Amino acid sequence: MTKTLSLFLAHAFIVIALITTFGVLGLQREEQEAQERFTGVLEENVTLRILDNDTAKETGYLDELLAAFNAEYAQYGITAVDANMGAYTDLEKLGPAGYGPDIVYQANDVLMRYAENRHIQPLPAESMEVYAEIPSEAWDAYQSTMEGTEYTFAVPVNVQEPLLYYRKDLLPENWQETWDDDGNGVPDMVENWADLFAYSAQVKAESNGTRYGYMKSLNDQYFAAGYFLSYGAYIFGQDETGEYDTEDIGFSAGESYKGARIIRQLATVMDNNCADDTITTSAYELLGNGTYFATMTTPDVYESFIDEFASSWSRTHRDWTEEEVDAYVRENLFMTKVPALPVSGDLTDREGETMEMTVMGGIHGYAISSYTKSPNAALAFIEFATSEEWIARRCELLGIVPARTDVMEAEGGVAADVYDDLIADRIYIMPGERAMTQVWASFGSLLRFIAEDGLRGGSTYDTDEKLIAAMEALDAEIYSAIHTLS
Amino acid sequence: MKKSRSIKVSRTVDVVITYAILIVVAFFFFFPCLWLILSSFSDSGSLYTLNGFFPEAYSFQNYIKLFTDTQMYNYPEWFGNTLFVAVMSCIFGTLLTILTAYCMSRFKFKSRKALMKTTLVLGMFPSFMAMTAVFLLMTQFNFINNHWGLILIYSAQAPMGYMVQKGFFDTIPSSIDEAARLDGATNFQVFLKIILPLSKPILVYTALTSFTWPWSDFILPQLLLPTMDNWTVAVGLMYLDETEFARFAAGSIFIGVPIVILYFCLVKYMVNGMSAGAVKE
Amino acid sequence: MADMQYKSAPREFFENLAEKIKKKWRAFCAMLRHGNVRVACSMLIMGTGQMMYRQWAKGALYLLVQAGFIVYLVLTGARDFFGLFTLGSVEANPWYGIEGDNSVIMLITGILSVIVMVIYVSLYIANVRGIYATQLRVEAGKKPATFRQDVAQMFDRKFYRTVLFLPVIGVCIFNVLPIVFMILIAFTNYGGDIVPPKLVDWVGFENFGKLVAVGEYTTTFFKILGWNILWAVASTAINYFGGLALALLLNKKCVKGKVFWRFFPILAYAIPGFITMLGFKYMFANGGPINYYITQGGGSAIFFLGANSTWPARLIGLMVNAWISIPSSMLLATGILSNANKDQYEAARIDGANAFQQFWYLTLPFVVFATTPVILSQFIGNFNNFGVFYFLRSDVSSSAGYVLANDTDLLINWLYKMSIDNNYYSIGAAISLIIFIITSVISLVVYIFSPSYRQEETYR
Repeated sequence: MTKTLSLFLAHAFIVIALITTFGVLGLQREEQEAQERFTGVLEENVTLRILDNDTAKETGYLDELLAAFNAEYAQYGITAVDANMGAYTDLEKLGPAGYGPDIVYQANDVLMRYAENRHIQPLPAESMEVYAEIPSEAWDAYQSTMEGTEYTFAVPVNVQEPLLYYRKDLLPENWQETWDDDGNGVPDMVENWADLFAYSAQVKAESNGTRYGYMKSLNDQYFAAGYFLSYGAYIFGQDETGEYDTEDIGFSAGESYKGARIIRQLATVMDNNCADDTITTSAYELLGNGTYFATMTTPDVYESFIDEFASSWSRTHRDWTEEEVDAYVRENLFMTKVPALPVSGDLTDREGETMEMTVMGGIHGYAISSYTKSPNAALAFIEFATSEEWIARRCELLGIVPARTDVMEAEGGVAADVYDDLIADRIYIMPGERAMTQVWASFGSLLRFIAEDGLRGGSTYDTDEKLIAAMEALDAEIYSAIHTLS
Repeated sequence: MKKSRSIKVSRTVDVVITYAILIVVAFFFFFPCLWLILSSFSDSGSLYTLNGFFPEAYSFQNYIKLFTDTQMYNYPEWFGNTLFVAVMSCIFGTLLTILTAYCMSRFKFKSRKALMKTTLVLGMFPSFMAMTAVFLLMTQFNFINNHWGLILIYSAQAPMGYMVQKGFFDTIPSSIDEAARLDGATNFQVFLKIILPLSKPILVYTALTSFTWPWSDFILPQLLLPTMDNWTVAVGLMYLDETEFARFAAGSIFIGVPIVILYFCLVKYMVNGMSAGAVKE
Repeated sequence: MADMQYKSAPREFFENLAEKIKKKWRAFCAMLRHGNVRVACSMLIMGTGQMMYRQWAKGALYLLVQAGFIVYLVLTGARDFFGLFTLGSVEANPWYGIEGDNSVIMLITGILSVIVMVIYVSLYIANVRGIYATQLRVEAGKKPATFRQDVAQMFDRKFYRTVLFLPVIGVCIFNVLPIVFMILIAFTNYGGDIVPPKLVDWVGFENFGKLVAVGEYTTTFFKILGWNILWAVASTAINYFGGLALALLLNKKCVKGKVFWRFFPILAYAIPGFITMLGFKYMFANGGPINYYITQGGGSAIFFLGANSTWPARLIGLMVNAWISIPSSMLLATGILSNANKDQYEAARIDGANAFQQFWYLTLPFVVFATTPVILSQFIGNFNNFGVFYFLRSDVSSSAGYVLANDTDLLINWLYKMSIDNNYYSIGAAISLIIFIITSVISLVVYIFSPSYRQEETYR
């Protein structure tokens, strides 16, 4: 009895003692000293994994860039490779586990979300060669004050804002007489929304609903936000340092109901797809085959439109050579800044005063993962990739709008327009807040309700009072989604 | 005479109604498939430019592009990955499921009912949050970006669905194995020599389901395989959806093909029941 | 009589339990009193007693288990176990190369360490019991079992243990662990701004308190629950009887070319679910082919899946789910039917039973008996069917009167939106715990009263 019992208890005691000792020991941590990671000394014999977007891969830009970088840095044994991951890879998930890329190229709202939890490394931006070449408005998107210090988290490469794409060959033949009231040689319907609305109504009526003027998914929050922002709405209030206050939601601020009314009016001249998101992928082809005259999207997908337009054109013109088609397509697909809005907020008001539209935009840039083993080599890569030569090459191949002033000046055209908007504060940079999820969800649903009401000719949102009430309800809904549970 | 004629008439009516229903059912199932198949051959390369249901012109271009243009979207490699994961998970998953079901049906051990109730309750848990746990677990086991990690999960979770198979084994009369036991066979031999040959239909069913699950699942692979070269077809297709609809359609039709082939190879086992040859009580 | 029986069931259960514990305790005491030196040795160092009985292989295996367990404890196990309680104390700061604790991973590894400990304890018990049994055996004048005999046992009497070992371990790690993880999350403040590298902490029942305090969530919960139950019942019935009907139809003697007719549902079965769902979504889209024909025919488009279309969208969901699930339940029913006793039908036909009577008295009881567990698992599958409405109506993110959900969302969709889209992990976990308790109680009751559970022997 005593033997068995004592040995049984001895076993139990040993196991418990083991657990306690090693448990307590294991949880001890030595005092760790903060190390400065950017020492200026390049790590040798390392491989950098670069996450870039799909168009950079498709056009071969990334391969070119990597080859050039590798040739120059071969002496240090630094190699950069394609991370070979989807463009929306989540660093927050993969990084801490050790599987993330070293350098990410993503939009500012995503990058700033990473920054909040220190998944990306603050950069010594002011000491970088590129610092003076990029306007402070672009840097702002990547700056944030944390615990009293202001940090910069990424280097801006590409400014994104919605642009109007249209087919010049689909303009009415006599547009110079009938659709150019101001005689400036630019068709009115791509200059202001009221004329675009009138023209869309005309196209839809004449073609008996088989062709359309302006088409865009109206429940796409990113593009629809512009109508509201132009009339005084804002998403989150900001304090003097530029930090967002998620308690202050301003969709109903100013005369934002006018934006809602425009959404409802636009729905009436569009096809049924406008309250649906299937259209997002179909816009390329439908503009290409002439079903739509114009749509709105960002400049970085220009080449996709060109491809679809060309393939659809060569299907109907089998005897054309590839070069002829390409020349025709590039001559007739136009990308221009978004039209002006009527101050009255009524699209049937073609004579009234107009104002420039404020749009929601974003800035794409390079950032360094906090989990990289070679921050100095990564910084060297970013310096290399954001040099004038490579940003210019990026513009050439991808058709982006550069954040670098020198490259922008060389490019001119649309790039200069976008740049103007950025400087003149007409681009509302998408906030990099986690709470944007709740904002987008509620906003998207309301947009869909309004668009369906317009399509159906319903009476849920047919007066300004109803729209004002809807905007106020939206603010309350977003507030409760963000704050009641946290 | 009269009676036999009325039987004949009612039989004809029966046949006509049967075929009418069959045609309706066939149409119900076939039409969406046909639609997807035809649009994958659409010359313009997408669903969006169709007039109503059908494309204006047809071509093989989408399929050719799927297998030749592999610089960005390496469909053949994804296909290989998927095949590997699905076949392996099918082998291990089927083995474990069948054995589990057999034990639960034939052995009356102590914790059996408790085990059955536990598995039932476990299945009730809304499990998507568990995905986070699975991901973190796999990072601890260093199984991220590894197909064996996926196979491990699929095989380990397969026995949870043993209910169908247990139901099947329950319908095999226990007199058959009792007779064999009397002849001195061990339980393992009974399973191998007697139960297994009687279980072809359920084996095929189990194999098919444990093959199709990894074949078309995209949630787990998306979570565990960050590198594009390691992706499975489902992950790749979901990604393509946003940028290249043409390939999406063709790629999705194409991954249905192996399952259809499998069915044709295995159909005779599923249909030729075994009870005709079994011992009658 | 029956009433009485059920009323006393809980009491009976607890009485049985107390009885069992008493019995175990008595056996344990007897073993302590009666066990010899070899038993005692095995109690301290597993396997040593077995070796003294010259059971070398068995003893070595037990020894290995103990050694392995100790190595595991020293290396990570002990730390992991303690981590479960602290959830970390140092916040990482990768900016300056400062390593810290990842609370969520500590939670996982902590649960894992508990699982390992449970496995160790059960092996330890098996070890002690085994050696004591050997002692009794030797005392009774028999020889201790040889390794060969042990192995033979593993394939005969204890075959089920051999077989179930792997599945049980697998299920523990990949099913039980994630569920325990999620249950524990409900008692932490994980989510919102508090995600690693920030440290997560235990908060007790705070999350449940919040849910009760915020009234909108309660109303949303009950609205969704109502629709969820309706959906689960309706879709299970449609899919099950649809599959059975189809199988019976194809089993009819007059049907020629069975392979041909079966091809169509199989084709539907072959196309992966997410593709069909995306296809159907497009088919019923505002500008999809169906609306194309409606508008061509002069009608005005119907927004099947639109923001206001509660019932059309729900019915389409039922149809799509039927399209996806009927083929597999047809296959299942075909398999079960092929197992049916053909003599009974012959006898019934001779007795003059018509087709309907044969179905009602022979086929249905047989099939339902064989598949009650399946019906139940299909019910559960449908109750937690995430895919259908996730794909069909993902672009309508909320509806009037619902918080963070639309009017076709099932509870699982709501949970997804709450925890994955909106980051409220701990609240989501708390709600899923509540749902889990409701649904598991319902289904356990159904299960225990189901014919196949109560009279497993009937059809043997």
